Amino acid sequence: MQAVTVDPEEELPSMLWGLDPIFSAFARLYIKDILQMKESMQVPGIYFYNSHPIYKVDVLGTVVYKREREDFFCYGVDDGTGVINCLCWKNDPLKETVEPQKTGEKLSDGAQGGFDPVAELKKFHRTHQNSYRLDIGELIRVRGPVKTSRQQREIMASTFYKVDDPVMAVQISWMTEVLQLYRLCYDKPLHLPQDATGVSVSPLTKATWILKDFLKQNSVNRFRPYDVQDLLQPVISSPPQTASVDQEAGPSGCQQLRNLLKDVLQILQDEGVVYRKVQSQDPVYHVTERDTDLLITVKDIIREDSKRDKYAEKGCHVLHILSAVRQRYCLNVSKAALELLLQSLECNSDIISTAHNHYTIL
Amino acid sequence: MMLPAAAVFHFPWEISSGAVQEGDSVRTFGRLVSYEPEESRATLSAQHASKEHHVVIHTMFVEPFDAIIGAQYIILGEIENTESVGSVVRARVLNCVDGVNIALLQKAINEQRSFFEERKCKQNEAANKT
Repeated sequence: MQAVTVDPEEELPSMLWGLDPIFSAFARLYIKDILQMKESMQVPGIYFYNSHPIYKVDVLGTVVYKREREDFFCYGVDDGTGVINCLCWKNDPLKETVEPQKTGEKLSDGAQGGFDPVAELKKFHRTHQNSYRLDIGELIRVRGPVKTSRQQREIMASTFYKVDDPVMAVQISWMTEVLQLYRLCYDKPLHLPQDATGVSVSPLTKATWILKDFLKQNSVNRFRPYDVQDLLQPVISSPPQTASVDQEAGPSGCQQLRNLLKDVLQILQDEGVVYRKVQSQDPVYHVTERDTDLLITVKDIIREDSKRDKYAEKGCHVLHILSAVRQRYCLNVSKAALELLLQSLECNSDIISTAHNHYTIL
Repeated sequence: MMLPAAAVFHFPWEISSGAVQEGDSVRTFGRLVSYEPEESRATLSAQHASKEHHVVIHTMFVEPFDAIIGAQYIILGEIENTESVGSVVRARVLNCVDGVNIALLQKAINEQRSFFEERKCKQNEAANKT
């Protein structure tokens, strides 16, 4: 497959971020890089390392600074490349103060020799709390999104815990793994399939986008094909494969344009975006969602028929609405157009779907 | 809020040779060979190139700790130059990691270093081109 490489200087459009697998992963970056990566200009809170969009990270390091507040801990974490502040919210049991273990308790446990659930639960709580309450010098693992607050970068921990690493095995393997990740993923430039960037989208798809965009931007109610024909000119004159540009000029280019428009209009009709109210020699296309008369008719039908016993409980079925629309308003309304209309009415909270394909008035 | 500087891994022989500047934050390792609580002074030792290297540690910030002579320790701290013993590390973290695979640790440190050096070279090249 052909691919395009994203220029490191250029920010990837936010729509395409999801195509980068690193974006949805917790990136195990060096803290140095987390502190230095560039923040996105499109969406604050998203950062770029080597053109890879990043918003959550995973770090392992030594606690070198700590501050405890009522609701959260602040840990300064040092991984040997940088130090970053990690904001770690306390969950409810952590907010309670730790009871120091009484010596008497221990003795009675031993004396009874049995299983004391209360004591066990207390013990469990203490262990649990200890894994979140760290001291300077201890090893911590923190995962979470990166935030910039007061010009300082920090990690809002979604998970954090103390790591027991008596012989540094975890730290050593972490160092090795992170290095591998850099070599195999983070430092590899992002390759996107060509389709993603719109370079090799078929002319038909492109033309459909252009026309849909035009209808939306200009709030077009209805149009004739020759009104919009010129809009598609750029698609014809700049085909992605430029090998035969010269041949395409002239009369054949014009014919191409007409054919393209015909195809595009067919797609829009199939999707229900437009419909022809009257079948005539001079075709006029109505934009479904902007046809207020049709909207009112559909609403009226649903309102009136929802009152009838037959539909009171479940609402009107889409096919019932369709036949009613065809009887009352226009024979040429397609099912796709009606469905699109019902969707937009539901978005505006004019109607609501009670069951699959059934609608009632709100 | 004041976060300390990042404590970068340095080998004990780099510290004992004075290759690290005063005030730099370092992390290093070594076998504890002596501890004088009254002086708050400990000495770590490490073998490198068939030579024994010693690093003197100021332990005031990490006291009290269990001093096990002969055990491996890892420390984080700042380099201080003293007239009497030369470079001293004022430790702010001191952990016993006895049983650590020193060879593997050294390998990991070296690999990380060469990665950063490579990257710096590439960045310099890129900067020179433009």
